[in-house]
Amino acid sequence: MFRRSLNRFCAGEEKRVGTRTVFVGNHPVSETEAYVAQRFCDNRIVSSKYTLWNFLPKNLFEQFRRIANFYFLIIFLVQVTVDTPTSPVTSGLPLFFVITVTAIKQGYEDWLRHRADNEVNKSTVYIIENAKRVRKESEKIKVGDVVEVQADETFPCDLILLSSCTTDGTCYVTTASLDGESNCKTHYAVRDTIALCTAESIDTLRAAIECEQPQPDLYKFVGRINIYSNSLEAVARSLGPENLLLKGATLKNTEKIYGVAVYTGMETKMALNYQGKSQKRSAVEKSINAFLIVYLFILLTKAAVCTTLKYVWQSTPYNDEPWYNQKTQKERETLKVLKMFTDFLSFMVLFNFIIPVSMYVTVEMQKFLGSFFISWDKDFYDEEINEGALVNTSDLNEELGQVDYVFTDKTGTLTENSMEFIECCIDGHKYKGVTQEVDGLSQTDGPLTCFDKADKNREELFLRALCLCHTVEIKTNDAVDGATESAELTYISSSPDEIALVKGAKKYGFTFLGNRNGHMRVENQRKEVEEYELLHTLNFDAVRRRMSVIVKTQEGDILLFCKGADSAVFPRVQNHEIELTKVHVERNAMDGYRTLCVAFKEIAPDDYERINRQLIEAKMALQDREEKMEKVFDDIETNMNLIGATAVEDKAWTEHQEYGLIIDGSTLSLILNSSQDSSSNNYKNIFLQICMKCTAVLCCRMAPLQKAQIVRMVKNLKGSPITLSIGDGANDVSMILESHVGIGIKGKEGRQAARNSDYSVPKFKHLKKLLLAHGHLYYVRIAHLVQYFFYKNLCFILPQFLYQFFCGFSQQPLYDAAYLTMYNICFTSLPILAYSLLEQHINIDTLTSDPRLYMKISGNAMLQLGPFLYWTFLAAFEGTVFFFGTYFLFQTASLEENGKVYGNWTFGTIVFTVLVFTVTLKLALDTRFWTWINHFVIWGSLAFYVFFSFFWGGIIWPFLKQQRMYFVFAQMLSSVSTWLAIILLIFISLFPEILLIVLKNVRRRSARRNLSCRRASDSLSARPSVRPLLLRTFSDESNVL
Amino acid sequence: MEERPQHCLSRLPDNSALKQQELPAHRLYFTARRVLFVFFTTGIFCLCMGIILILSARSTQEIEINYTRICANCAKLRENASNFDKECTCSIPFYLSGKMMGNVYMYYKLYGFYQNLYRYVRSRSNRQLVGKDIKAVEDCAPFKMSDNKTPIVPCGAIANSMFNDTIILLHNINSSVQIKVPMLKSGLTWWTDKYVKFQNPSSKNLADEFRGTTKPPNWPKPIYDLDKKDPRNNGFLNDDFIVWMRAAAFPTFKKLYGRLNRTHHFTEGLPAGNYSFNITYNFPVTRFHGEKSVVLSTLTWCGGNSLFLGLAYTVTGAITWLASFAMMAIHIMLKNKKMSFFHQ
Repeated sequence: MFRRSLNRFCAGEEKRVGTRTVFVGNHPVSETEAYVAQRFCDNRIVSSKYTLWNFLPKNLFEQFRRIANFYFLIIFLVQVTVDTPTSPVTSGLPLFFVITVTAIKQGYEDWLRHRADNEVNKSTVYIIENAKRVRKESEKIKVGDVVEVQADETFPCDLILLSSCTTDGTCYVTTASLDGESNCKTHYAVRDTIALCTAESIDTLRAAIECEQPQPDLYKFVGRINIYSNSLEAVARSLGPENLLLKGATLKNTEKIYGVAVYTGMETKMALNYQGKSQKRSAVEKSINAFLIVYLFILLTKAAVCTTLKYVWQSTPYNDEPWYNQKTQKERETLKVLKMFTDFLSFMVLFNFIIPVSMYVTVEMQKFLGSFFISWDKDFYDEEINEGALVNTSDLNEELGQVDYVFTDKTGTLTENSMEFIECCIDGHKYKGVTQEVDGLSQTDGPLTCFDKADKNREELFLRALCLCHTVEIKTNDAVDGATESAELTYISSSPDEIALVKGAKKYGFTFLGNRNGHMRVENQRKEVEEYELLHTLNFDAVRRRMSVIVKTQEGDILLFCKGADSAVFPRVQNHEIELTKVHVERNAMDGYRTLCVAFKEIAPDDYERINRQLIEAKMALQDREEKMEKVFDDIETNMNLIGATAVEDKAWTEHQEYGLIIDGSTLSLILNSSQDSSSNNYKNIFLQICMKCTAVLCCRMAPLQKAQIVRMVKNLKGSPITLSIGDGANDVSMILESHVGIGIKGKEGRQAARNSDYSVPKFKHLKKLLLAHGHLYYVRIAHLVQYFFYKNLCFILPQFLYQFFCGFSQQPLYDAAYLTMYNICFTSLPILAYSLLEQHINIDTLTSDPRLYMKISGNAMLQLGPFLYWTFLAAFEGTVFFFGTYFLFQTASLEENGKVYGNWTFGTIVFTVLVFTVTLKLALDTRFWTWINHFVIWGSLAFYVFFSFFWGGIIWPFLKQQRMYFVFAQMLSSVSTWLAIILLIFISLFPEILLIVLKNVRRRSARRNLSCRRASDSLSARPSVRPLLLRTFSDESNVL
Repeated sequence: MEERPQHCLSRLPDNSALKQQELPAHRLYFTARRVLFVFFTTGIFCLCMGIILILSARSTQEIEINYTRICANCAKLRENASNFDKECTCSIPFYLSGKMMGNVYMYYKLYGFYQNLYRYVRSRSNRQLVGKDIKAVEDCAPFKMSDNKTPIVPCGAIANSMFNDTIILLHNINSSVQIKVPMLKSGLTWWTDKYVKFQNPSSKNLADEFRGTTKPPNWPKPIYDLDKKDPRNNGFLNDDFIVWMRAAAFPTFKKLYGRLNRTHHFTEGLPAGNYSFNITYNFPVTRFHGEKSVVLSTLTWCGGNSLFLGLAYTVTGAITWLASFAMMAIHIMLKNKKMSFFHQ
């Protein structure tokens, strides 16, 4: 009992310190220690949100959490419970439609997720149990199980490689589905378990793995394996990311492997990296919500005014209950307070159309359908990767038209990420161009290629350094034998610079032939193969910004080669030739090349013993392994000798920009990360102010997090400008997620950026059309859509409000229920939808060629207070014209020559007819781009309205209690006066708008004239950058090596 | 990379006009000539229309006689609902200075009577009025059933409050001879109301058909006695009843009461002279502080004598012309400055 609680305590302790212990094969490591099973989660991946049972309540709950849906639900419930003038159908039907469509969409998406989950969870895997291969479903894997994986299968969970079919215990893995890198990576088994490559032998293994608790970083793993062989003494070996096979990765070029599961199910690195779609809200959506509040306020005011006036009006008894309109028994008995409350609710219901449910449907449809235009655009198609643009979210289309600041990654985004070795300098002597002879640099005398000669030995040392100091591998297709000495060697590496350097060395006669049994093979200028035993690789990291290798020559000398950024290498070299090299490096950097410095040192055997011990010790550490390693590396990489420097060109896609400010990562960290005292805030402000003054700011040598920090800093500026980030690599993901709009480039560095982005395009140059044309048009379309929707519903409801003043505030609706319901659904919805999909107020070529136009809509210009008030006043004006125009028309004895009189429904129908024609023609006036679709929906909607009205009034509908619309429309049209009045009222309503269009035309004409004049005089306007559209460029050190 | 040609076509977006947003479209361009032409024509149209409408409206004649105050004693009598069975008549003489040519229509006009109150408008039963089921009274609250639970026909507040004054127009040819001006009580309703929406039960004898029902509380006589002489104007088919049942849009409204039968003396219309209205005063208006009057009017092609439409057209035409003159001025000014106003 005590022991168990102790164990639990220990387990808790373990959890807290962040390690877990896994027993290989779930075998206890020794008889003395009782085996206590730890609880880990099972290997099920659950990405779905709903189950069959909770779908309905959960989905409904989620949908009604949206404020608009909730509002419509309330209105519907009020209509059902309280005796209101409009039927519950008028608001229930659209709401039901919206909810159903959304539920079906979400249900379908979740079904797809369920299917994908099942596919993964039910796939068959083989587990070694009691020395036998047992077939199981993937979801049954427990932590500690030994799993067998065969070639081209994906790993079912995170595994520690124990052994593979190859003798050296390596296997090749591609992580294309995780981080997009399609090259094969080599993973290694611990030396002591290499031999256990059958089911029987692996079952005899008694070992325990201690490793950290799961964390999402794909490239980090620290662990330790304790192997208990026959002797009681356990052998401990360190485990790193090179031993860990990630779920989702695929085994390649290796027949089969055995591994032990350490992380399963939702604790695998893949699952931890799974992020739901980021919930980014666009500025337009925020404006919609603001408008909603304004209109909600208007609605409440209207209802409150009507309720108050109703009771004022009813305070005189002959108004409260005239003899012709006696109250029912029920009304007499109801409490006055309760009656007032229900009256208020009834007025709300009567005016509730002012907040249109259909707007949400239309906006959703516009976004969904509109986003297709991006993926359909053939200008975004790139032949090289055979793909076009991809839209990952349609919520942000209009945000593309609102971008104030662009943040771009430099490497691979602005540049093509294909590098070329340009020149090098050895001991301060410059070498440039390609040598024709294979046998030595010194023979390639020529004024252009060789300016000055360094010592022959130094040259060779330099080239050997280039051949040895890297992590490049030779790509092998089927056979895993690095011995193939074909002329065509394909190098693969995670960074293209390294390949460029190795290829550069090859040009000068030193060819890297690959690794064999831990030996690096290099062919020198004399065609001899030199072998170097690779003792240690001191990997690159973004803090040190250099990497080193320790090799042992055939003669037994131990050498350290180091390459890295100049700032990282210069302080660590002892000789005095820095100055000469520095000049070269700086000149190359000015030319825009990526420069690296190369240094070396010889290590004495005793020193090596010490270094070796330190390195192994650091690698075994479970806690703070990185810090310890770093410290050791720092100690080792000192007192080196500088040999030379290299320059690599990164081909740029765009012409060079003039940068305003250049700042590097270490400086930035001072600004961003230092403690929150006043001085650092001050620095931050100064930095921001300088940034704001520059057209472009170049930040170099940045860590991924710093990119996000810069974006966040700008995002939180006063006026919260809209930011856009564009990048191609995994290191850009943080800023892509941070900014308002994230664009991924489908570049060579994998697809991680593209998958996390909101939009992805093949090339950086496509950003121009995406913003200037698509973004601009989407913004104008959706802004107009939103304004128009509020406008047409205010027009619609205002006469109904005014009518209350003439009907004793009795909540008598002005329009028939069919018109109330159909107005937003059928009569006026399609023209605006077509407009919001097709409108091009300025044609696309003009938009892309003149970035000034983009500035016109910046700062959410079309949804600011000014335009909003304009539309609101326009709607108020038109609503008043409709109502009072028809009111005065009705003052005459008769509208027909035969003396017949019209009733209230005819009055409402005249107002409604004027309304439908006016709002549709208003849209027609706004349409600048008339395609056949626009013609069809605009004239079609009007025709449909007329047809429907005849139809609706032409039949005695058996399901209606009151045939109040019977022949009203037809009778109305039999009067000439009504025709004349309808035409006149439409014209008067549109008259201000027509005048405004003509006046705008003047302004635009003169503005265009000015613009063209200015353009002629100002040659600078050819430059595409516009002031608010600043270009912030990031270059990051992680790509340098 | 080798199999690219096969994939190439599948991934390349369609080059259709819709997908590339290159649908053939026309843009509206405003040339000075076009805009000014449209403005001037619209202006002319509106002005002409306005003048025609004003002239037409002025050609009609209308006489309105408010008899709320004139028949004060009747009004006082009707203040008290218990006096409903006491008859009260009242005669209003008036002089027609000019003759009213053509068709003359007689309207009654009510002030302050809200026929458009929500509860009031709904309080009717269409199933009953169409003659299908005369006992269908469920929508007629508060006038569904009488106290002894017999259904009211016609039920509902609208029917109950039907205007029930009788107005007779008399022409005094001289001081001693009075003749009754013949009025038609047909053709006052919408055709569809009379022939589709309102139908009597099919039986020959209306009184039989309405057995088991009771009259509305405010009515002096049952529905089948509205016009005993003319079966096509009796029961639900009574024109006055149908006209009343079409609820008016505003608290002040006119309803058609009769039209001049142009026979004998009145083939030309109403000649000038002395007339008087003989009114049986039944309908109480002072109880809700309302008023009532009787209107005689002639009509033209565009309806009654209201100048509103004509004035509106004239003003709109004038403003359009003003606007177009202003535009022309700006245009000429800019042209002199070598600036173009419109697309040339």
